[in-house]
Amino acid sequence: MSLRLVRIVDRLIHGQVVAGWLRALGARRIVIVDDATARDEFLRDVLTLAAPSDVPVEVLNIADGAIRCIELAASPEPVFVLARSPRTVLGLRQAGVPIEVVDLGGMGSGPGRKRLHKTISISPDELAELRELERLGTRVEIQIVADDRPIPFRSLDSTH
Amino acid sequence: MNRKLALAGGSLAVLAILAAATPAAVLGANAPGGTGSGSAPITVGFGQAALIALGYYLANSPWLFGLAYYTLFRPLVAGLLVGLILGHPAEGTLIGAAINVPYLGFISAGGSYPSDVAFAGWVGTTIALAGGLNPAAAIAVAIPLGLLGTLVFYGRMSVSAVFAHWADDRAEKADINGVAFMNVVPGQILLFVISFVPVFLLALNGPGFVKDAIDRLPLWFSDGLVIAGGILPAIGIALTMRFIFRGSAIPYFFIGFILFTFSGGSMSLVVIAAIGVALAYLHLTFTGGLAPKSTEAAAEIATAPVLMTSDETAPAGRHLTRGDVLRSWITWSFFSHANYNYERLQGTGFAHAMTPIIRKLYTTPDEIRAALKRHLVFFNTEPNFGNVIHGAVIALEEQRANGAPIDDDAINSVKSGLMGPISGIGDTLSQSTIAPILLALGIGIAGGTATGSSIPNFAPGSTGNVLGPIIYVALVSVIIVGIGYVAWMQGYLRGRAFVTDLLRSGTIDRVLTGAGVLGNLVLGALAAKVVTLYLAPTVSIYGAQLNIQASVLDPIFPGVLALGLVLITFWLLRRVSPLWILAGMLTFSIIAAFPFFGPGPQNPNDYSYQACTSSLLHKYAPCGVPPAPSAAPQASPSPAASTAP
Repeated sequence: MSLRLVRIVDRLIHGQVVAGWLRALGARRIVIVDDATARDEFLRDVLTLAAPSDVPVEVLNIADGAIRCIELAASPEPVFVLARSPRTVLGLRQAGVPIEVVDLGGMGSGPGRKRLHKTISISPDELAELRELERLGTRVEIQIVADDRPIPFRSLDSTH
Repeated sequence: MNRKLALAGGSLAVLAILAAATPAAVLGANAPGGTGSGSAPITVGFGQAALIALGYYLANSPWLFGLAYYTLFRPLVAGLLVGLILGHPAEGTLIGAAINVPYLGFISAGGSYPSDVAFAGWVGTTIALAGGLNPAAAIAVAIPLGLLGTLVFYGRMSVSAVFAHWADDRAEKADINGVAFMNVVPGQILLFVISFVPVFLLALNGPGFVKDAIDRLPLWFSDGLVIAGGILPAIGIALTMRFIFRGSAIPYFFIGFILFTFSGGSMSLVVIAAIGVALAYLHLTFTGGLAPKSTEAAAEIATAPVLMTSDETAPAGRHLTRGDVLRSWITWSFFSHANYNYERLQGTGFAHAMTPIIRKLYTTPDEIRAALKRHLVFFNTEPNFGNVIHGAVIALEEQRANGAPIDDDAINSVKSGLMGPISGIGDTLSQSTIAPILLALGIGIAGGTATGSSIPNFAPGSTGNVLGPIIYVALVSVIIVGIGYVAWMQGYLRGRAFVTDLLRSGTIDRVLTGAGVLGNLVLGALAAKVVTLYLAPTVSIYGAQLNIQASVLDPIFPGVLALGLVLITFWLLRRVSPLWILAGMLTFSIIAAFPFFGPGPQNPNDYSYQACTSSLLHKYAPCGVPPAPSAAPQASPSPAASTAP
């Protein structure tokens, strides 16, 4: 199991990811899975360039990302996987990627989104997707920075 | 780039001369000797408590051009100001510097807030100064205060989300001023109330309470707090090492440590920083870091659209002047975090910053409403380097107002796509490199002696030097504002091309590498200056009584224990939360002060050899060599013994 962490964060690579998580996880490779980002050449460039120069970044859509993640999960190299939405992670899981834990790291608010914890807000659709992930055996946790103690999603989802 | 390096080197040299020329005796004052004794009592009056509470509010407020986070927020600066308010600037500076060390590697990113550094600084300095605490013991008092202070931040972050909805209502009415008002006024009233009241009460009543508590504690326990003051700084050093102690820059940390230690603690941090600038230049030259990575950049500049127009040459159409773009930058610089909240983070701040642009570009209520709502959504980035995003967005808004087919999605995707990666770079640059290095320098300068030499910050005879915080504030302000201005203007002029060009050119990597060399050198020296632990026990070898510290360790490598402690803390931080390390260190320090091997000190100023060697660790200094059995004056008195009153 070398997918060190699958993390949902709408800003993808940002301050904490670069500064804290890579160190905490000992990961030397980032895989970003997001359909829209994979289509945008400028964003692909920026994300690739923004990571530390010794950490390779791959930006892939869900279909390619699933193939790549399955491949990487079988290798010993520690990998940090980033996605923007629960739907993407559910897509990966359903395509057979072995994901033990998914971490909610930052999900901005907006119309129709309910605040779950600090900077984590979710829509009803996302709530359903996260529950589906849990049903498939993937643990969902909230851990905003690497030094935080992870909070199980179950404990915040009152209808469980 | 070379010009900037030369400029930085030049300003450092000027500051070094300034620091050397200032009579430290004028600025300095002797640090209190014991934990609760000696110095004349300092009291906190009603007005003084109010000023301190106001200072704490300002430290989290937008009113200092957004620089509060890099200035008043830091205990080094708070220490000087509390000292000024209470009439003891040099002592306040020394205490503030001490409290700042564990927070050297503090960063707040993405709405996280591990500790309220400003609370620790403002309240901690007040309590330590007025309670007569030793600067080292102040650290142990300040850290719990920092944890308590996070309640202010969480309260504000939760409640302020409501004001973002009030701003939504104003936007719905196309009320530009209303959105600006909602970004600033309600949030600041709330912040003022929840900041001012607790700090005012603590400043007024805290010192007496802590003084009473300390007076009731056994002597060895108070000594334990002072010993903790030499050990806890290892956490701040190690947290900062997480950012810069890597790769080819690692040896410079050890060079810095050794330079300071083997100069007998007399080498000024300004001199060490000047050496660091030279070494950074050499390092970059000899590792090939100064050569550009790619020549691709030049080609793109030529094709980048030049959007900037001045008042005189503005062609027909809705065009922005330099003044509009500047007004927007200034608004952002002040108010980016005025209504920081969990729901939108800097969302309302972004909309507020866009108000000069919206006012100029859009005239109909429908256009204004749409533009305000477009920019009121969730936004969060590093607020200085991240300004490239704002610049690029302003350029897009200008093109859109002139009929270019740019829809909401295009603007949103620039904002939401860039804010993450750019804040990654920005935080690395500003919060985790520039600020800690300059703080290390300022903290290093803040502790010296009356004769101007530099010694460990908590040694008896150590004085505060107000130039520490002053130099720090001057350097950090110029650099942070400079980054913010250049990023804003370049983002506007060259848009997205600037971002990719800058990243491809390798400039950021070069700056970080150079800063890493300088930072490691200064951090190593600071570690030698503020992390202190001295083994007290003696051993009997072939009948001779030998003090382990003075007779065995110091002749080989003075400071080896401190260096070991820093490296162990750095290693531990990867496995254990800093809070556990902190609790462990505090407990260990107090146990290590217990007089296991003898009767212990009889009063706070008992520096006799017998008292010194009665515990596991000793405060301030090594215990020296055993007194000669016959002669009355000690042959080679320890520093502690020689300077004690």
